[in-house]
Amino acid sequence: MTENLVSTAAVKAPILGMSIDIAFEHFHLVIDHNIELSGIVGIFGQSGSGKSTLLRIIAGLEKAASGQISIDNKTLQNSASKRFTKPEHREIGLIFQDSRLFPHLNVYENLAYAVKRKPQGKLSIEQVLKLTQLTQLKHQAVTSLSGGEKQRVSLARALLAEPKLLLLDEPFSALDKKTKAQMLTILKTIQHQLKLPMLYVSHSIGELQFIAKQLIVISSGKIDTVAPIHQAIHQLNNHDDVAAKTSLSLTIAEHLPDFGLTRLSLNVQSTRGESIYLPLLQKGEQQCALGQQIPCIIYARDISISTTKPEHSSIVNQLSATIIAIKPGTTSALITLRCAEQEFYAQISLWSAKRMALTLNLAVYIQFKANAVHSYHSTESTVDA
Amino acid sequence: MTSTAADILALTTTLKMAAITTVILLLIGTPLAWYLANMKSRFKVFFEAIVALPLVLPPTVLGFYLLLAFSPQALPGQLWQTATGSQLAFSFSAIVIGSVLYSLPFVVQPLQKAFEQLGDHYLEAAAMLGAGPIDRFFSIVFPLTKASFITAAALGFAHTVGEFGVVLMIGGNIPRETRVLSIALFDHVEAFNYSNAHILSAGLLISSLILLSSVYLLGGKFSGKSVAKKVLKS
Repeated sequence: MTENLVSTAAVKAPILGMSIDIAFEHFHLVIDHNIELSGIVGIFGQSGSGKSTLLRIIAGLEKAASGQISIDNKTLQNSASKRFTKPEHREIGLIFQDSRLFPHLNVYENLAYAVKRKPQGKLSIEQVLKLTQLTQLKHQAVTSLSGGEKQRVSLARALLAEPKLLLLDEPFSALDKKTKAQMLTILKTIQHQLKLPMLYVSHSIGELQFIAKQLIVISSGKIDTVAPIHQAIHQLNNHDDVAAKTSLSLTIAEHLPDFGLTRLSLNVQSTRGESIYLPLLQKGEQQCALGQQIPCIIYARDISISTTKPEHSSIVNQLSATIIAIKPGTTSALITLRCAEQEFYAQISLWSAKRMALTLNLAVYIQFKANAVHSYHSTESTVDA
Repeated sequence: MTSTAADILALTTTLKMAAITTVILLLIGTPLAWYLANMKSRFKVFFEAIVALPLVLPPTVLGFYLLLAFSPQALPGQLWQTATGSQLAFSFSAIVIGSVLYSLPFVVQPLQKAFEQLGDHYLEAAAMLGAGPIDRFFSIVFPLTKASFITAAALGFAHTVGEFGVVLMIGGNIPRETRVLSIALFDHVEAFNYSNAHILSAGLLISSLILLSSVYLLGGKFSGKSVAKKVLKS
C-alpha cells in the first residue's frame, strides 16, 4: 500500500524559510529561521509563546505578518515585494485544535469537500478512510462523533487536500490519554506512508517526543532552540518552569510477561550491557516488536543517586554513572550524569547533595523504578509532561 | 373599473413590487451585511446606524427626500431620464427603489447577525482545503445561515407589502403603476367605503400573520435542528 500512495519518495527534505515579524497588542513574534522539514518537526512552547500564531502565519491566515516565507524556492509571501499567496493557494494543510468539521455535511461529505477542490489528487476517499480507521463512520453526522473521531476526520480531510506541508495545532490536546496515544500512532504511520512533512505544535513534551525527530522551542515570540528531539528536551531542563527530565530512545530487548516488565537496552555505542526495565509494552494482546526503538522519558525527580552499589533494593533500574554537572537550585540540585554516553538528569535535595558530598567526576549509581520510565508506546502511559 | 377589480390590480402591483424589492434586497443586502459583519473600523456603528435609519425615521421623511431626488430637476432624476427615457418620480421603479431603502434593515440586520455568529472558524478551515472566497460563501456560509436568509427575505417582503408613507410620497396613486394595497385601503376609507376597506385590512392582517408564523416556524425548525448553532455554542 505504501508504494501505491507515494509516487515519488521525497529525496531531499524541503526547507521552510521564515523571516517574519508580527506585533499584537501584548505580544511580538519575531522569527528568522530556516527549518528543514523532514518527518514530523515538533514545536514546543508554553501557552502564549506564539506557537499557534506561527502556524497561522505559515498557513496565510495572519495577513498582518510582515516579512518573508518560502518553501524551497517557492515564495509564499514577501511583504517587501507585496507578494502574498492566499491560504487556499498555498498547498498547506492545517488541523485545528477544534476540528472545525463542517456541521452541515456528514463525514463522507466533509472529505468530499476536500477532494472536490483537489480533483487530480492521488489519494482516494476510501484509501484515506482506511488510513485513519474511519470506514465504519463514513455516513455519520459529524456532530455525533467523539473528540478522537472528529480529529481523525479532520486529519483525513486535510490529507485529501494533498498539501505539501501539514500543520497541526495541538490537534489532540482535548483527548484522553489512551485516545491520544492511538491518534499519535496513526499520525506517525500516515507520516511514514505518505512522506508528508508536518509541523506539530504542542505544549506536551511527551507527545512531541513520541512523534517528532526535531524540536523547535518557542518562548515569548522567539525561537529558542532548534535541535534533535532528545537534545532539545535536555536543553529545556535549564528552564525553571519545565520539569527536568531525561529523554532517550531505547531498543526493546526482551519481554518478561511473567513479571509484567519489558527490558530495553541503551541505544548508544560502548554499552556495557546496560538495561532499563519498564512496565510491559503491549498494545492490547500484542507485544511490541523486539528491536524496535522507542522514545522514553524519565523525570529527574524520579531518579535517585547512591554512592555505593544498591544491592538490597527493590528498585529494578540501577545504572552506574559519572557526575558531569551539578546545578544547585533553591531547594534542590539538578545533577547531570553520564552512563555509557547517555546523559541522565537526577533531581535531589540540596541536603542530600551536601550530605553525600557529590562532586564532579564522582562515580555513582542511579536508580529509578520501572514505573518511572514513561512511553507513549504503553497504553497505560502516564506521560503528561 | 369596479372597486374589486381595482383592488385586485392593486394586489398584483403590491406583490410585484414586494417580490422585485426582495430580490434586489437580497442581492445588495447580502454583500452589505457581509461587509458590516467583517468591518473592524470604528466607523462601523455609523454605517450600521445608516442602515437602521428606516426603522426609526417616519417613512414620509424618506419619501420626501426621495421625491426631491427623483424629480427631473435633480441629478438622480435627470440621470434616470437620460438612461431610460421616462420620468422616475411617480413610477413603479420609484416605489421599488423607495421600498429597497425602506426595507433595507429588515434584510441586512438578520444576515449581519448570522454572519457575525458564524465567525471565521469554518471559513478558515475551508480556505485551508483550497476553497476561494466565492466558493466559501456558497459552500459554507450560505448553507449554515440558510435560516437567516429565509427570515431576511420574508421580513423584507412582508415589510414592503405593508409600506404606505414612502409610496404615497413618491408614487402617487396611479393604477397599475403605483397604486398598492395600502394606498387602495386609504382611498376606501376616505370614500367611506368601509366594506372594501374591511376586506383589504383583514386580508393584509391574515396574510401577514400567516407569513410571519411560517417564518418563525421555519426559523425555529432550522435553528432547532441546525447543527451549526449547536456546534457554535459548544
